[in-house]
Amino acid sequence: MIQINELTKVYKLTKKQMMEKKTKKNMVKAVDNLSLTAKPGEIYGLLGPNGAGKTTVLRCVASLLKPTGGDIKVNGFDTVKDSQNVRKVIGFLTNEIKLDPQFSPRYMFGFFGRLHGLDEDAIEERREKLFDYFGIKDFQDKKIEELSSGMKQKASLAVSLVHDPDVIIFDEPTNGLDIITARNVTDYLKLLRDEGKTVIISTHIMTEAEKLCDRIGIIISGVLAMEGTLAEILERTSTKELEDAFFELYKMHSREED
Amino acid sequence: MRGVKNIVKKELTRVFTDRKLVINLFILPGVLIMVMYSIMGNLISKMEKDIQTHVPTIYIQNAPEDFSRVIDAVGFEGKITYLKADESTDGIKDGILKGDIDLLVVFDEGFRETINNYKQAGDPIPEVRTFYNPAEDYSNAAKGNFTADVLYAYQQVLLAERLGNIEQLQVFYIDRDPEAGVIVDKNKAGGKFLAMLLPFLINIMLFQGAMGLGLDSITGEKERGTLASMLLSPIKRSEIVFGKLVSLGILTSISSVIYTVSVVIGIQRLAGGTAEAMAGVKFTPVQILQLFVMIIVLVYLYVAMVAIVAVYARNQKEAGTYVTPMYILVMLGSILTMFSSGSEKALKYYAIPIYNGSIAIQNLLVGELTMVEFGVTVGSLAVVALLITTLITKAFNSERIMFNA
Repeated sequence: MIQINELTKVYKLTKKQMMEKKTKKNMVKAVDNLSLTAKPGEIYGLLGPNGAGKTTVLRCVASLLKPTGGDIKVNGFDTVKDSQNVRKVIGFLTNEIKLDPQFSPRYMFGFFGRLHGLDEDAIEERREKLFDYFGIKDFQDKKIEELSSGMKQKASLAVSLVHDPDVIIFDEPTNGLDIITARNVTDYLKLLRDEGKTVIISTHIMTEAEKLCDRIGIIISGVLAMEGTLAEILERTSTKELEDAFFELYKMHSREED
Repeated sequence: MRGVKNIVKKELTRVFTDRKLVINLFILPGVLIMVMYSIMGNLISKMEKDIQTHVPTIYIQNAPEDFSRVIDAVGFEGKITYLKADESTDGIKDGILKGDIDLLVVFDEGFRETINNYKQAGDPIPEVRTFYNPAEDYSNAAKGNFTADVLYAYQQVLLAERLGNIEQLQVFYIDRDPEAGVIVDKNKAGGKFLAMLLPFLINIMLFQGAMGLGLDSITGEKERGTLASMLLSPIKRSEIVFGKLVSLGILTSISSVIYTVSVVIGIQRLAGGTAEAMAGVKFTPVQILQLFVMIIVLVYLYVAMVAIVAVYARNQKEAGTYVTPMYILVMLGSILTMFSSGSEKALKYYAIPIYNGSIAIQNLLVGELTMVEFGVTVGSLAVVALLITTLITKAFNSERIMFNA
């Protein structure tokens, strides 16, 4: 269970960043007063364009960033006051966080398993299960730097799930993957949901959100523009496709900003 | 502690399973240092030998008749050409300048007569002038040898001739056997040489090792995005920091041991005889323990110093720029001790970090480090190291530094 309560995240800009962005303001509000709840047994999708604040939200949930305002609870643990317990129950995957290229998937899996406090038997059991499912066994002893990007993504995925987390946070889980691997990943996310896990993902791919997510939150310029099941969103925006609904909301919010 | 142990194990595995890294970090620098010093040593001894065996070209003007007999008697070897009083020496001086001729010796005209005619104080005393080129090794050596071996001997001969009994001039002897008068603690003498060199070497080698490894292990991991995956583990940030620092400390110690041993071996070849002096140094168990503790604390401090730069830097290039002033600071601290060997230092100097490490090691090697001085040194180094560790942990908790957010 993830409860985000009036989350606001403000980034301070350095002088150099201000020059680059050609702004005189030294603050950027990445997320503005955002509240949402992701429940066990569902896949919640954060849908939004690049720079909307999706990654910031997920990083706050994963306890990597501290909220400027509001708070987040993961399985009842506060992400600031109780961050170590939060990290125990989450599995977080993002493109920017990588595995050490000099090690093999097998070594990294064991390393993170041990950091999570698993014993060798438990690690071996999880490895057998996950490496088998994602087809990692063929290259489990190769160095990660020698792997293709799809193989790397699979390995990262397996490693992030080593401790069988209750809450799974995936930032753009299928980014850069071929159709087969992407399908493999989304199928596994469904499996996790069916096991009763809480899954939250971010994506800018409409079809992925349509097919995969039980509930969708559309986020534009750091604000949660609309939230609901696919059917609810289509109904409220009087559209037939998620893409059209998204554009309606995008136009509305752009007007509001002006 | 689970996290610390695991991280240390991973970091060490990372280095030792990478053959290229092992060669680059440990083997190549060691071999290069040894080869460098050996070549230097060979060249220097070759040069010395060359000067020794060189037969100097010497021109002598107005030589007294009995002078050639003195040269033969002392067995001085040289290509000697005798000049008359009216011959010009300009060409010879030119030759000395160019390095073709090694020495020109000019006796005053009527040298022997002037000496023979000497009766009482105030009578003229003749002069021998030598012309040489101090920038030329051969010329320099020729002047020194000719003066000491030939001219001095000739002077003695003439003195004996004039006085009959040369002992009248001697009055008393000073140290006829200088070797017999040497009273020295061999440990201290050997230690003195080491004391000048070793603090410098230890400091430089330790910092260099920490620098090479630390920047990659922290800034590199930050850049590659592999540090973030560790930040997601349910362990304290301080455990990650400590794990990183300990593993870096271990690797730094290994590399500095290799460097120091190769430098010592190299220098033995360089200086030849110093091997004996070094072998003469003996430590008491307490001293060994003190040295060990001090090096451990120094290693940790240097690793922490490099780490704090590495954490704040956004990429390895930036880190390299920031770490250079620190390297110079460490060098300065250790160079200062190289030229102030032996003098007693007030206790407050042992509280200056980095510098205190050098002087403490220096005094330890000559057996003059007191327990109080040792305590102050280790204490002040440890306080700074802990302070830096706290700062690093703070940086690890900062999202701005870790995620550029």
